Amino acid sequence: MTEAKSYSKLGEALAKGEFILTGELEPEKTCDLSHTIEEAKQMAPYVIAANVTDSPLGIVTINSMAATHLIQKATGLECVWQMTVRDVNKLGIAGMIMGAQALGIHNILSLTGDHTAMGDLPESKPVFDLDSATLIKLVREMVDKGSINGHEIEDPPKLHVGGAANPNSNPMEPEILKIGRKAEAGCEFIQTQVVYDLDRTIEFLTGIRKYKVPILLGIFPMKSYGIAKGFDTFVPGVSVPKEILAKWKSVKKDVTDKKQQKELYDQYNYDLFKPFIGELKRKKLIDGIHCMAVHYPRIFPKLNDIIRG
Amino acid sequence: MCQTGGTEGAKEMAEKLESEGFNITTVIVPEEVCDNRVMKKDARNIEEELQHTDAILTLSCGLGVASITEVLSNKFPLIPVFVGTNTEFMGMTERIGRFYMRCQGCGDCLLNETGGICPITTCAKALMNGPCGGMVEGMCEVGNYEKDCGWVLIYKRLKQLGRLDLFSKLREPRNWSESGHQREVVWR
Repeated sequence: MTEAKSYSKLGEALAKGEFILTGELEPEKTCDLSHTIEEAKQMAPYVIAANVTDSPLGIVTINSMAATHLIQKATGLECVWQMTVRDVNKLGIAGMIMGAQALGIHNILSLTGDHTAMGDLPESKPVFDLDSATLIKLVREMVDKGSINGHEIEDPPKLHVGGAANPNSNPMEPEILKIGRKAEAGCEFIQTQVVYDLDRTIEFLTGIRKYKVPILLGIFPMKSYGIAKGFDTFVPGVSVPKEILAKWKSVKKDVTDKKQQKELYDQYNYDLFKPFIGELKRKKLIDGIHCMAVHYPRIFPKLNDIIRG
Repeated sequence: MCQTGGTEGAKEMAEKLESEGFNITTVIVPEEVCDNRVMKKDARNIEEELQHTDAILTLSCGLGVASITEVLSNKFPLIPVFVGTNTEFMGMTERIGRFYMRCQGCGDCLLNETGGICPITTCAKALMNGPCGGMVEGMCEVGNYEKDCGWVLIYKRLKQLGRLDLFSKLREPRNWSESGHQREVVWR
């Protein structure tokens, strides 16, 4: 990593070594972003930036680069443009990166993307010309050298590029070694998959600390029992521990007042994540938190308390 | 070998077509349908029948269709060749009845670096730097976690060989510059 050049608030916070909180926005299959923009406004006071997802689970949504631009423009909240290598080849992605710069986008998260076969257009051709590591390398060449495969860019982009990591990965060693490849490619920050298992998370983070890439830990505060159950069922490789599910279920079952229910869910999330994050912070294994709980912006003040506390 | 045709299969198909009202001029089982030289010899033996043939149905893989069309192109250019099977892949044989795709002949081989296991073939995303987040407990998200993740297979094999240094290597994207058009090997 070349030193101390910051192109965004996130880049600046990373350079300063601040403890970072990022959020996540998930635009849907629509051309109207008003709901997402509303959510962005609610989380804006608490986060340094928010990720904008790129057709997660292979289910087609509005294009993530367009959404990133429009959310930034409407709210002033800085975004992290999520770009998967699933749908566009190297030539297309390089063009999009220049386009992103021209639209004022300065953070990109490089992702493989869930396979087209998993989503709602399984007949689409899966591209995967690049992978999550080689996209990072491409961004860094474009930014640092001002070229694409050696071909000069007249006015090069200025973006920070991050990658994902999965602490739940089993076997774990190939995932750790893969993070080594991303670091070699020039990865500037890591945002992890959602975690619930503290021991496993410590083992994994200890394993990747040697690569010296700032790590934002992925968490998923659960807004309701239904959300928790759905997350447990549908997100590959992540399971919500049974005792947590039972606790959330009890709120749904035993508390009838909706306002009380909300307060209790929020409090349980606080109680769950405070010691979890505290322990990892104490061990100096994380540099920030990436909260993936979409449609739950009211949790951010509590997360902010945890992080600043 | 794959028993998509063979003597019995060809006979069975001929009977089926006859029962549908087709007139079968001949049934042959060439020794190696995709080798033009062998196919030419077989075609010479049935020239008389071909004079009265409106169409050929082959139960070979796609290469057979191409080969027969090529071999007959001078003397019988108006006979269309149809394919009676859907070619799945050019596979490795475990035993008769069990075939597995293990190579795609991509023209950019990296088996020497991946413990002899091809990521282009065994990884559903043909990634050069796997595994991806779609791997759960060593299995692949595509196909409901019933198939091994190719990159975990590569990891295990390289670990067994004491060559995790190869696994750790950052690999460049595959070079498609020579793959995007008709390929041929002509060395004589």
